[in-house]
Amino acid sequence: MNLPVQLFVTCIIDTLYPDVGEAVVRVLQRAGAQVEFPSAQTCCGQPAYNAGLRDQALPLARRTIEVFENTAGAVIVPSGSCAAMIRHGYLELFADDDRWLARARRLAERTYELTEFLVDHLGVVDLGARWPGRLTYHASCHLLRDLGVDRQPRALLAAVQGAELVELPYATDCCGFGGVFSVEHPEISAAMLERKIASIEASQSPVVVSCDAGCITHMNGGLHRRGKTQRAVHIAEVLANTEDKR
Amino acid sequence: MTDLFHSQIRAALDNPVLQSALDGNAERRQRAFSQAFASLPQGRQALRQRAHAVRAEVIAHLDQYLAQFIANLQANGVVVHQGETADQVVQIVSDIAQNAGARLVVKSKSMVSEEVHLNHALEALGVRVVETDLGEYIVQLRSEPPAHIITPAVHLTRAQVAQTFVEKLGIAYTEDIPTLTRIARQLLRQVFLDADIGISGVNFGVAESGTLCIVTNEGNGRMCTTLPRLHIALMGIERLVPTLDDLALMLYLLPRSATGQKLSVYTSLIHSPRRPGEVDGSLERHLILVDNGRSAMRRSPLAESLYCIRCGACLNACPVFREIGGHAYQGVSGQYTPYPGPIGSVVSPGLFGVEEFGHLARASSLCGACKDACPVDIDLPKLLLCVRAEGANLAHASSSASRRLHVPASLRLALRLYTWLASSPRRYAVAQRIGGGFGWLASPFSRWLRLPAFTGWGYSKDFPLPNGRPFRDRFAALHPANHVDGNSETLPPPAESPHSSNSKPLAQQFSDELAALGGVVVHCSPEELAGRIAQELMRREIRRVQTWDESHLPAGLISALRESGVQTQREPDPQIRAGLTGALAGVAESGTLVLSGGAQQPLTASLLPEIHLAVLREADILPSLPQALGLQSVREAPTAVLISGPSRTADIEMTLTIGVHGPGELLVYICG
Repeated sequence: MNLPVQLFVTCIIDTLYPDVGEAVVRVLQRAGAQVEFPSAQTCCGQPAYNAGLRDQALPLARRTIEVFENTAGAVIVPSGSCAAMIRHGYLELFADDDRWLARARRLAERTYELTEFLVDHLGVVDLGARWPGRLTYHASCHLLRDLGVDRQPRALLAAVQGAELVELPYATDCCGFGGVFSVEHPEISAAMLERKIASIEASQSPVVVSCDAGCITHMNGGLHRRGKTQRAVHIAEVLANTEDKR
Repeated sequence: MTDLFHSQIRAALDNPVLQSALDGNAERRQRAFSQAFASLPQGRQALRQRAHAVRAEVIAHLDQYLAQFIANLQANGVVVHQGETADQVVQIVSDIAQNAGARLVVKSKSMVSEEVHLNHALEALGVRVVETDLGEYIVQLRSEPPAHIITPAVHLTRAQVAQTFVEKLGIAYTEDIPTLTRIARQLLRQVFLDADIGISGVNFGVAESGTLCIVTNEGNGRMCTTLPRLHIALMGIERLVPTLDDLALMLYLLPRSATGQKLSVYTSLIHSPRRPGEVDGSLERHLILVDNGRSAMRRSPLAESLYCIRCGACLNACPVFREIGGHAYQGVSGQYTPYPGPIGSVVSPGLFGVEEFGHLARASSLCGACKDACPVDIDLPKLLLCVRAEGANLAHASSSASRRLHVPASLRLALRLYTWLASSPRRYAVAQRIGGGFGWLASPFSRWLRLPAFTGWGYSKDFPLPNGRPFRDRFAALHPANHVDGNSETLPPPAESPHSSNSKPLAQQFSDELAALGGVVVHCSPEELAGRIAQELMRREIRRVQTWDESHLPAGLISALRESGVQTQREPDPQIRAGLTGALAGVAESGTLVLSGGAQQPLTASLLPEIHLAVLREADILPSLPQALGLQSVREAPTAVLISGPSRTADIEMTLTIGVHGPGELLVYICG
């Protein structure tokens, strides 16, 4: 099986976590996909869209559509909220523009979040990953509620050898990121983050796994500020790990 | 961004009493919510999709349903008024009150009346206005607005309520919630009896029958719509359902979503004023249909928010509401809105102006917990984004003041710059390198950057340094492959939860449900009935009972009671301690009694006395709510009421207390 796919790596992973991007490629390759990376991609436009600045989101949405529309295969996004932006946000953004709406819809129909693609599309659950120790899973909001993806990452993590998967208390509660919300309302965001960190501590897992780089940045930023030893990792980092050390 | 809003937020976060009250609310409500939906005959998902479709149909054809509704109400003798604006609504109520020479008005909860600032206007006319929902009564004593659309006093502890009662009512200090509740009951009882006018909200209007459906737990809604000679109902024009079947669907969802109950204790179905020969019920009923911005909102991108049935579930599910509470949701200039939380952040700007309230929609992480909780599946994150876009446009077009209000200038500038960079892969790549270099300069010995608090991010978290070598520079080394062919598959639909069924006999199911609500069920033969009831009354030394007419009770019951020395009368009397009624039907799934009013069936018998005894024929127990609402007698009654257990409240610290305004005891005699 050599199924070509397009990787939309997302601006956060591209800029802040290139290692995660590499892990995503390794995981997709191991699952039998041939990964292409259209290098003209930048950002899906979600930050401006969520801020209400649709005029600023439009050029980035159009660019993302243009970059991917003449490529082949599924478009894989290793971040729930960016995948949701393309799948649902673009349809709202172009609701009054029939020509672009049709193009947006064609892209939306072939766009998948990473774990959703692995489990539902490729039918892969066991990727031969190994992870010694305890793991817990934070269900990112847009992944869970906008895309309805939850059993897929859990199934992938359950198949990781050596890992003890424990339930995160209040796993589906928002971590307080919310993009521009976290800088516009720092006090509320901080209170929500405080609860998430308390839940991570209560889980007694040193590692919390998420499928969204935004949540990871937020949770890790809070853990680091508070001098906590726990850390948030992207699910691809776990799935790409095939050795007993990490 | 508004300074007032931020100071409200900080005050709420720094208030430990409020924080623990909000935590308690969120946890208990969410638990009750999930338990309540476990008992639905169909999966919750299927029901909320049906409910969404019903509400969408009504809003799409609102004029047509309003016309049908109004025609039916008028045929039933209800006087219908239409108020375009808040001022008009206030004027209509003021005119009715002045024409009636009213001095005292009792109110059951109505968010619409809060919206038009009715109380102040009536008080200015010299009319005393008393809120009778326990939570509303408490916040009224404190001169505060409600903090939640369902539980107005959710922000207060029992100690604060106790202190308020000491200061305003002159009682001795007590934190005992049943005692506080009893004191409120005693004081308000006299107010109900003396009131000239009762004002209520309306939970649903039914177009096909002209029904006004009002749901309460304490019984104050029944008091306000039964005892005063004049009843005025206020209703937003959008709160319609086409049929009684649709009403049953909404009643499956509303109490479960609001308070985790299968049905609220009292569901009143009001059709007409008192008819000739009847001994109770308001003599005159008015309905005021309130527009106040709704028609305009219906034509806007926010129309979907008119589907709302005001259950408050989105408030209870919202992590932001949990942190800041209801009172923080205010206008930029301090203007008041009665609608907090996620739905409030859409309807407040939608009804009262984006300029004043648009900033509220920005106080959301868009996590979507509100949409999940919504019983009519309103896409709240989408609507919040619409408000943000409107606010941004407004700020773009108008004064510098509103620009400052809705999108912080720094954020606008940063996002502009970002869009410019990200519009060209080359500029973007250069910026990534500069960012990496800058990060290294700013924080040479750590992978983390400690940003100052004013940046927002730096308030509570550190920022990871950009990597000097972004992914786009690394991909080439990862052996990428070429060409593809497109493929897409639709996802399988989410699995429906299986239909639950209950195989228990109906009488048993009814008994179990009613017992769970604190009611008492006595099974007896027709021969035993009179003796059992007489025995119960004697045990309590009750000699006088308000009863229904013999024609609506088992033959011989009244005469047998009289022979045992019990006086019976049909007319209401506040001194009477027990009421004896029949029942049109029972509803097994929720332990509900269905009572219809009428000349021989005074509704006060099940409302005023402290003990309500009801006789239910076993053959009249129906499995579910839609069958009960389908009964012809329910439609034809001046007022019908569904009773699910004794009167209750949870308005103080969410502690369940039995017996507020309605009977504190309910005994149902099931006769074979």
